[in-house]
Amino acid sequence: MRKASHKSSTAKVPSTIDLVNRNLAKRKRAEWRFRVYGIGAILFGFICLLILFTDIISKGHGAFFKTQIHLQIHFNPQRLQVLQPGAIEQFNNANYDNVIQDALFADNARISPALLSAVDKRQLLSLISTGAVYSLRETLTDSPGVLNQSVGVWLTVDDDVDNYVKSLAHGGEGYTGRLSQQQQSWVNRWIENGQVRQTFNTTFFTSGDSREPEQAGIRSALMGSLYMLLVTIGLSFPIGIAAAVYLEEYAPINRVTDFIEVNINNLAAVPSIIFGLLGLAIFIGFFDMPRSVPLVGGLVLTLMTLPTIIISSRAAIKAVPSSIRDAAYGLGASKMQVVLHHVLPLAMPGVLTGAIIGFAQALGETAPLLMIGMVAFIVDVPADLMDPSSALPVQIFLWSDSPERAFVERTSAAIMVLLAFLISMNGLAVWLRHRLGRSHQ
Amino acid sequence: MNSKSGYNRLFDPMAETGQALDFSQHGLGQKTVGNPFSVKAKMSVRNLNVYYDDKQAIHDVSLDINRNEVMAMIGPSGCGKSTFLRCLNRMNDTIENCNVNGEVTLDEQDIYHKKQDVVPLRARVGIVFQKPNPFPKSIYENVAYGPKVHGLVSRRAQLDEIVEDSLRKASLWDEVKDRLFSPGTGLSGGQQQRLCIARTIAVSPEVILMDEPCSALDPIATARIEELMAELSQNFTIAIVTHSMQQAARVSSRTAYFHMGRLIEVNDTRRVFTNPEHELTEAYITGRFG
Amino acid sequence: MERHISQRFDSDLEALKSQVLEMGGIVEQQIIDSVKAIESVNRPLAEHVLEVEDDVDRREVLLDENCTMILACRQPAASDLRMVLSVTKMTRDLERMGDEAQKIAQMAIALSDDGAAPGGYEEIRHMGALVQKMVNSVLDAFARFDADKALDVARADTQVDREYKSAMREIVTYMMEDPRSIGRVMNILWALRSIERIGDHARNIAEHIIYLVKGYDVRHTSVHEIEKRLNKP
Repeated sequence: MRKASHKSSTAKVPSTIDLVNRNLAKRKRAEWRFRVYGIGAILFGFICLLILFTDIISKGHGAFFKTQIHLQIHFNPQRLQVLQPGAIEQFNNANYDNVIQDALFADNARISPALLSAVDKRQLLSLISTGAVYSLRETLTDSPGVLNQSVGVWLTVDDDVDNYVKSLAHGGEGYTGRLSQQQQSWVNRWIENGQVRQTFNTTFFTSGDSREPEQAGIRSALMGSLYMLLVTIGLSFPIGIAAAVYLEEYAPINRVTDFIEVNINNLAAVPSIIFGLLGLAIFIGFFDMPRSVPLVGGLVLTLMTLPTIIISSRAAIKAVPSSIRDAAYGLGASKMQVVLHHVLPLAMPGVLTGAIIGFAQALGETAPLLMIGMVAFIVDVPADLMDPSSALPVQIFLWSDSPERAFVERTSAAIMVLLAFLISMNGLAVWLRHRLGRSHQ
Repeated sequence: MNSKSGYNRLFDPMAETGQALDFSQHGLGQKTVGNPFSVKAKMSVRNLNVYYDDKQAIHDVSLDINRNEVMAMIGPSGCGKSTFLRCLNRMNDTIENCNVNGEVTLDEQDIYHKKQDVVPLRARVGIVFQKPNPFPKSIYENVAYGPKVHGLVSRRAQLDEIVEDSLRKASLWDEVKDRLFSPGTGLSGGQQQRLCIARTIAVSPEVILMDEPCSALDPIATARIEELMAELSQNFTIAIVTHSMQQAARVSSRTAYFHMGRLIEVNDTRRVFTNPEHELTEAYITGRFG
Repeated sequence: MERHISQRFDSDLEALKSQVLEMGGIVEQQIIDSVKAIESVNRPLAEHVLEVEDDVDRREVLLDENCTMILACRQPAASDLRMVLSVTKMTRDLERMGDEAQKIAQMAIALSDDGAAPGGYEEIRHMGALVQKMVNSVLDAFARFDADKALDVARADTQVDREYKSAMREIVTYMMEDPRSIGRVMNILWALRSIERIGDHARNIAEHIIYLVKGYDVRHTSVHEIEKRLNKP
């Protein structure tokens, strides 16, 4: 009896290990769920990124290619209105539209001998890009010998034809857009005759903005962005590091420095458009600088990136172990020697990472640039800091607003270029951190 | 009985018999016992008081450190021994709210004099820290840094000589001579600490301060550093702060016992560890509190 | 033995050892001199033994001080700790030996004052030689940290004890033969007793050496047991 009651009492009070074992399965399930949440979060992000990239690349890759047709151009001096043979200056003012017209009619006459109506003529001419005259001028200027001769030339087509040809290549009906039945049949005939080709779109990288999508490029915006970036790097990097070093190493801890610190942190959180307003008021309003120039853009972006750089540099400087400082001071190094020999080299990977991320942010910034007039339509490629220019993100913004269908793929292509820039800058940051970090370990 | 603090009871052997002693009678606030003064002092400290903001960390400490002796400073945590040590080459200057008054002289020169620059002072009074802290540079660069900063050498060959000599004195040369240009941080803890000692020696200081130099090291590395200290004391004056009273007993010729910011006792190490004069010293070294 | 990382610790221990050997040498000489003084009725030699005793006492104090210093400052462990502990005990035994030699010398002085005893000199010479050899061997064993040699000393002590017993019986017969000589014979008896005590101290030292070398505490055990213990692998 006694034994039995004893046994039952031990059964009532389970040992610790029993309790542990009982909960073990539950705990393991919880662990597993926890891990699954993490994997889920990563998968979600990855899928979003994949969708974004697929969308942009599928829309934008076409912009890197342009459609051209092959025409037999007769450089007739009369039609070109080049009256004195040999005078090369006249080539600039020659009437290339005439020879293109002639070539088109001649080409078309071969296809259909029927006489063309005036409307047909206009429709036929509109198949060719208005920029084709420039390529003819180049051909003639490069080799004046072709004058009075007939030469086969590849001419860029209008964006509507470009769209039509590219959509046909993807199979199906093809996107007709504004093309009439008559125009479609001409283009179809060219395709059958093998007069149409796809070639790499150098225009996209070499020319500025244009109302005609097939002539529009990102050169102007890219150069504008680069100039601004140069100004931003040149100003915010030294200023930011100097400020961070002073605040971390020299400044006494008092109310003034506290106030400065709070304000720097606040500035980092200020919306970027406010910096645009500030730039408008100070640089353009007060200092009377011109609008739309990379110098002012760079100054505004400098103001915007400074807090980021100062904060990240301070964090990097603070992270330098005080034992290193102590060691250097203990050997009798002066404050400047400690900072230059030990603190900055050790903080540099962190400083650079922060700075490059700040620059990447600046590179992708649109809002403040709108405020200082960099949203203007700029065709010419800026030659220096004081030339009006655009910026890549602003260009994307402008194109995304344009009605022509061909600008859709150009917008995506410009986004790809911008992304490539950002990724390579981040890659640079990673590489620098790795390299500097290794040389100091 | 009520006036006696529990802390007091902890180490006071008389407490159980009821002959309670008031804490102030244990010597706090009184003069240091033993012989803190010396005629051949390398460094002497007179009436040193150190404050962190309003908190007083060192109370009226006077102490002489002799030429070529190893002076050990022991005491429970927070007793001010490290603060005291750092006053000797003004490392406390780097601490924002630290306030030092009193007189500290090196060869009869006041090191807290207005005109005294800390840079030459630290060249004369070197310091080795608790945690081995080599610069993240090569072994060679670590040792060469001090001479370079102070412009002690003009030619590379001279620098090579100093580096080798310092590493030899720190008995590290044989272990690193084949990899002088590999990073100093790649060495073991004990080697790193000896590298830090070599780095300090390279400036040829007159006094070397050591702030718990072995607390991060294993016993073998510790023994090697202690042996090194014995050798170095032939050429340098050494002041060492240590948590380990055994270490103080092993390496030092004189021992100073600090308690709550006051210097309680200074005596020959043998005397302190066999027959301390003050009961607080006795209580501490016998492990009755601390 | 391998050297310590701390060379000063090495030299401290070396110094301790040589101080013990020096003290042992002096005590050994004391024993030789006192035995010689009593058997050759040499009063100046006996007085010399008394003078040396001060030196022995001073050395004992110095050795103890050094041991205290090593314990306090070097925190010896294992074989070093056994060494220091053994040395403190050995100095005590050595000092006691010196005291016994002093007693023998005092007996020698008494005998030279009162005139020679009727007998017992042979026993004194014989036992004195035995004990002196023991002291010599035990110091040698210490110098070499030789446990086997120390064991030999322990064995020899049982022989001394036997000799002492037979000498007692012998001397008692002298007393019974001539009660007037009891006073002088008693002096011889005391001297023999001291010699026997020296043998005991030598055995103690041998036991300390065995403890020092092997780490076994062999006090209060028979020689047979010690042998068994030492021969165990």
